[in-house]
Amino acid sequence: MTQYFAGVDIGSTMTKVVIMNKGIIASNIGPTGPEQRRLANKVMEKALKESDLPFEAITYVVATGYGRINVPFADKQITEISCHAKGVANFFPEAKTIIEVGGQDCKGIKINNGKPVDFVMNDKCAAGTGRFLEIIADALGIKIEEMGEIGLQGNNPAKISNICTVFAEQEVVARLAEGVSLNNLVAGIHESLANRVSRMVNRLHVAEEVIVTGGGAKNVGLVKALSDKLGYALAVPPEPLLTGAIGAALLGKDIADKALQDGVSLETKERSLKEIKIF
Amino acid sequence: MAEEQKKEERKRRRHATEAAGKIGPMVKATIGGTVKAREEGKSIAYAFIVCSYDEIIRAMDIVPVWTENYAGICGAKRDATRFLEKAESLNFSRSLCTYALCGLGFDQWREDLDEMPPDAPWGGQAKPDFMLSSGQILCDPRNKWYQAVQQYMPDVPIYNVGLPWPLYEDDIKIAEVEDYYIKYIVEELRGLIKFLERQTGRKMDWDRLSELVDLGERTWSLIWETYELRRAVPAPMGTGDAMNTMVPMVFMLGTQEGYDFFLELNKELKDKIARKEGVVKDEKYRLLWGGGLPSWFALSDFNYFNSKGAVFPVETTYRMIEPIYRLNIPDTNDPIERLAWRWIRYWTYWYDKARKRPGSEPDVERLIQYIEDYQIDGIVMHEAFSCRTWHLGLIWQLNQLKKIYKPIPVLILGSNRQKKDEKRELPSLILESDIVDISSYSEVDTRNRIDAFIETLEQTKKNKV
Repeated sequence: MTQYFAGVDIGSTMTKVVIMNKGIIASNIGPTGPEQRRLANKVMEKALKESDLPFEAITYVVATGYGRINVPFADKQITEISCHAKGVANFFPEAKTIIEVGGQDCKGIKINNGKPVDFVMNDKCAAGTGRFLEIIADALGIKIEEMGEIGLQGNNPAKISNICTVFAEQEVVARLAEGVSLNNLVAGIHESLANRVSRMVNRLHVAEEVIVTGGGAKNVGLVKALSDKLGYALAVPPEPLLTGAIGAALLGKDIADKALQDGVSLETKERSLKEIKIF
Repeated sequence: MAEEQKKEERKRRRHATEAAGKIGPMVKATIGGTVKAREEGKSIAYAFIVCSYDEIIRAMDIVPVWTENYAGICGAKRDATRFLEKAESLNFSRSLCTYALCGLGFDQWREDLDEMPPDAPWGGQAKPDFMLSSGQILCDPRNKWYQAVQQYMPDVPIYNVGLPWPLYEDDIKIAEVEDYYIKYIVEELRGLIKFLERQTGRKMDWDRLSELVDLGERTWSLIWETYELRRAVPAPMGTGDAMNTMVPMVFMLGTQEGYDFFLELNKELKDKIARKEGVVKDEKYRLLWGGGLPSWFALSDFNYFNSKGAVFPVETTYRMIEPIYRLNIPDTNDPIERLAWRWIRYWTYWYDKARKRPGSEPDVERLIQYIEDYQIDGIVMHEAFSCRTWHLGLIWQLNQLKKIYKPIPVLILGSNRQKKDEKRELPSLILESDIVDISSYSEVDTRNRIDAFIETLEQTKKNKV
């Protein structure tokens, strides 16, 4: 019988689900709202629909991310540090360092054979996270998806000195008024963010291969700025938002395999996607 | 209200030892005692811990008000914010030492009202007759705090004690400069005694001072012996408790009560070791609290670590003692000279070891020694944003440790009874918050980090297997 494993990654900004057997057979990404439990159900339902599988067919569900405890149908909760390590190693077996630029936090993870050996996190300040880019994109009247390409066109990145997101927003508007080009302004923003992230990640003594994940990895301008700052070539997984969910599903598979190997029954929760009524 | 009280009770930290459980009432009585002492006309001094004058003030029956401790109490009771805000309204920056800010806010409020601020935690800290500051060579707020508070208590004099020690250089010979430091410190402490004699109108009882210095030295040795018991597996006491037992160590030095406390703790730990009773039932990870003052409002995080099978058998914070016999204090009948030698030899205790390992430093050697002695699996540090003294050095220490010591080479006895090398990885976790400013703290984020750290420890253990 084919076994299916689900990984549910409830991040601070986006909720991601993948269903896997030998490879990914379905995935779904949606915004994380305040009602994480209800949304986890919905995103899971969409992924199941895409895979044409009933929920009962899923052997094991692992939840990860900040909202992992709000997934009532998950069989196990594992932190995003372990899940990203596993997910990245699936694509890059030689990876040694992961930089995850998430919606409202940023992490550096040192890994060895797909397992975390050290990590650092910034969860105190929006600077150094995707939220910083969102706010600046709003201030500049551009779409966040466009920022990467716009920044790459800049040949003289503007110096953005404020690390406070709110004050940096004011600074960006002031620079725009001074006549700094949009390309150089966005390039400066990427440089500022890259400085912030690299300062934190350098605590780990970065080693190759270095992989960037999270929403920030979709911004080519940021990835280039980070690469320049760190002095390493950076690789990005095919869908960097899904790395944590993929890792969660793969760790679920490991748990199921170990139970089989040890000859013990796999402990799972009731397979039910009923809507939670507590909100 | 009843519901809120229940929540608070649930959050209260659990102690592993009965002795640590007695500290709360002890501190409460001490703080209440300062108010009572004021009413009784006793001499009261604002004071800082670890300033080498404990026995001196005890010998002169001066009642100390440990101002940093009171700020910590306000933090632990989650009632520091209003004092911090008061200080901010007086134009002090929120990024200064929050112990000092809390104290400044409290004192200004008390002086303004001419009585304790409403519902002051544990009755409030009494107004002093004089203030004894000392930044040692570590902490500038300890020099400036009392000067700043004089704005609100202009009639309260200050004596600032200079307590330096020779900074570490790998080519410096301490023996060549030690005497200069001793001479200076002795003069400073004698100057302090003259100041206290003037302020109190009483003369120093030198025989009593000698007795108390002797008691202080015996207490140091007893504490060292007691804390070394925590090497046992499972660990009978963790850092969470040590953040309580620091009270008799540094607030009651030179008192019989302080000495007796550690006698009791020593016995309790020996009993627990005999029963193989640890902080947690199933001890999985042994951690070193590698520095930083704790978040006093979040001591229950130690319980959270415990709930994951992690214990802290040792810490560098508030382990302000070394065994006296190892300090090789020269023979002298002068209690002031003894205090000066104890001071210098304590702060230079790890220098010789550091010199033997290229790239090392005394603080790093201390970490290494504890890692080996206490069979440590990982290090946790706390960056309190408002404490420059600790903060700057911590990251550096961790980096140096990783450079010169990770993976950790450990000599173990093989099955053939031959020594062989083993490499041990040592994950680390840096927590970020503050000592009393709760606005810097997120329980969800902190515990998320702890969860990830525990998973890292688990992987490291599996890798080793």
